[in-house]
Amino acid sequence: MSSQALRVDPKTQLFEDDFAANSADLPGAGLSWLDSRRVLAMESFAATGVPTRRMEAWKYTDLAGALDGELEPATLFRADTAATTTDVFADLPGTRVVLMNGFLHYIGGTALTDDIDIVDLTQLSARTPEWVRLYLGTGPTGGGPGLGTASLALMRGGIAVRVRAGAQGLSPLHLRFINPSRSQPLMCHSRVLIVLEEDAQLDLLESHSGVTSEQVLANLGVEFVLKKNARLNQIRVQEEGTHTLHITSLDARVAGGAHYQSLLVNLGAHLSRVDMNVRLEEPLASVGIRAATVLGGEAAADVTTIVDHAAPHTKSRQLFKSVVGGRAKAVSQGRVTVRKGAVKSDSHQMFKALLLAPRAEADAKPELEIFADDVVCGHGTAIGALDEDALFYLRSRGILAAEARQMMVRAFLEDAIGEGTSEAIHDAIWARIDAAMTNVEDVP
Amino acid sequence: MLEIQDLHVRVDGKEILKGLTLSVPTGEVHAVMGPNGSGKSTLSYTLAGREGYEIVSGKILFNGEDLAPLSSDARAARGVFLAMQYPVEIPGVTTINFLKTALNAQRRARNESELDALRVLKLVREKAKALNVPEEMLRRALNVGFSGGEKKRLEVLQMSLFEPKLAVLDETDSGLDIDALRMIAESVNAMRGPSRTMLVITHYQRLLTYIVPNRIHVLASGRIVKSGGPELALVLEEKGYEHLIGEPA
Repeated sequence: MSSQALRVDPKTQLFEDDFAANSADLPGAGLSWLDSRRVLAMESFAATGVPTRRMEAWKYTDLAGALDGELEPATLFRADTAATTTDVFADLPGTRVVLMNGFLHYIGGTALTDDIDIVDLTQLSARTPEWVRLYLGTGPTGGGPGLGTASLALMRGGIAVRVRAGAQGLSPLHLRFINPSRSQPLMCHSRVLIVLEEDAQLDLLESHSGVTSEQVLANLGVEFVLKKNARLNQIRVQEEGTHTLHITSLDARVAGGAHYQSLLVNLGAHLSRVDMNVRLEEPLASVGIRAATVLGGEAAADVTTIVDHAAPHTKSRQLFKSVVGGRAKAVSQGRVTVRKGAVKSDSHQMFKALLLAPRAEADAKPELEIFADDVVCGHGTAIGALDEDALFYLRSRGILAAEARQMMVRAFLEDAIGEGTSEAIHDAIWARIDAAMTNVEDVP
Repeated sequence: MLEIQDLHVRVDGKEILKGLTLSVPTGEVHAVMGPNGSGKSTLSYTLAGREGYEIVSGKILFNGEDLAPLSSDARAARGVFLAMQYPVEIPGVTTINFLKTALNAQRRARNESELDALRVLKLVREKAKALNVPEEMLRRALNVGFSGGEKKRLEVLQMSLFEPKLAVLDETDSGLDIDALRMIAESVNAMRGPSRTMLVITHYQRLLTYIVPNRIHVLASGRIVKSGGPELALVLEEKGYEHLIGEPA
């Protein structure tokens, strides 16, 4: 055994072993552009390894501690569990893409038009379209230590989507990620690439679900490329089982005049982390991120964002709202960087959390790094319990305690959920939050 | 009939009500007057069942039933209503939605059928008109950005909507101009009836010129120290509490 091997922790070793044993059989193996990106990604991952709490960016979230050492790489799975899993957006129109353990399972619903291309990432070959080659795995993915690089190095499946220039009014794209119950503990490394050409617009409805009896690591790497004046509206609901570790490392590049809007609804997993890295690359690029987290039991959820104002006249808005019960823990970290010369940058971050139980925990960490003059950057944090005066007021009017609490939680989350969402989506999201709330209230 | 018997109430470990005894026959309006710190708000919160208002001894009987073991929502369903001195702002909950939820929660607890949104809206509009509460206010978040007068009008609107059997009005006159005061008094007077019991809690006699009570009780240091007819308000106005409290009860 070499001295180097001794220094690698067993959790990191799991990923390295997978790469050593299987890299020649991964999708697209032999394509030089992809091989070199995978190798670089693996080296980059190995340099930091599986994040531990000793790393500043991961000090609230113990991924290494939660990760089982016995995970097997997931293989293609064909059983139809989609029908048995709740589909948050079942009643909404759109094209449905189901991914099982990160593998494309089927495409249904509204037929695709010529304006949108979808590529199955298990089928990468010399004939793979140029735009996939141009962008897949080129972003920093997550922006710090994490699993984003591993999701590229070990990518087994996923999809790439392109919306053509000027395409607007398309029916929404539903991406439904399901981790079905399987007989052994699994790790699933997959990727999503979405490219919006100039002036293109897309509504993306994303759901992550699945309850398993064994541990599953869902490790997803996402890249969004928004070209000039493109608009991406992402609505993402994550609702996973108590054996699921979910890591999404998301990299968004936003060009001039383009707008990326994201609503992250996080209703739990054993541990989840969304690492977002948004780069506002040109003037008038903007991003709006809203996160609504509702957790109970012993769930831990972490939303960590980096917004990089790399050009003048760029704008970012971030609102993080968490409702935490039981012994759950919600982490919100947001770093905003305004680069030299990015004058007239305008950014605001707000973190709010409502703690419903004495052992519930919320951690909020806003950070600002400003290297330009003439910018407007603000942030605020508020963490507290439900207002007892308000609870008494509602109860004195005959409203039962549980309903009064629910009303107040709704009121607390509404500005994160409500703004800019259609009534149908709004109702679909609230149906899931209400269901999640019963769990949140359950555990003392 | 509301009967409070030798009531001792502790808040944050400190005894505030120290043997309060009071009875209000059904159909009557009684006033409780007292200086700051005499225990007026403690009395109103205790009647409404607020947590943290610990009944050490004594009884609160309403129509023969002991209220003490009942939660505040259960009391509301039995017809107990407290118009609060400081109505709470609840952002994100619209006033109309709150009214509907509350009304139906009470009805559900009494095994009455729930009213649909349209019925509730119609009912609320009727009541709102009498109190000059604009429709726009009903669509706003509950009490958020309401003026002091608007908040108090909404309290009285709730009272007329819920039609309680026991209504406790805690300093409903505070912060009101004379026109608002008159309007609120009119609504309260319109609700007087043979099956409703009311307790008006106030520091000043001003409200009592518009809502003339059957009896007035003076609260000092957690006990009723004097009771009398409506004329007692005028004595208090003229001579102040000190004069009265100094007298042997």
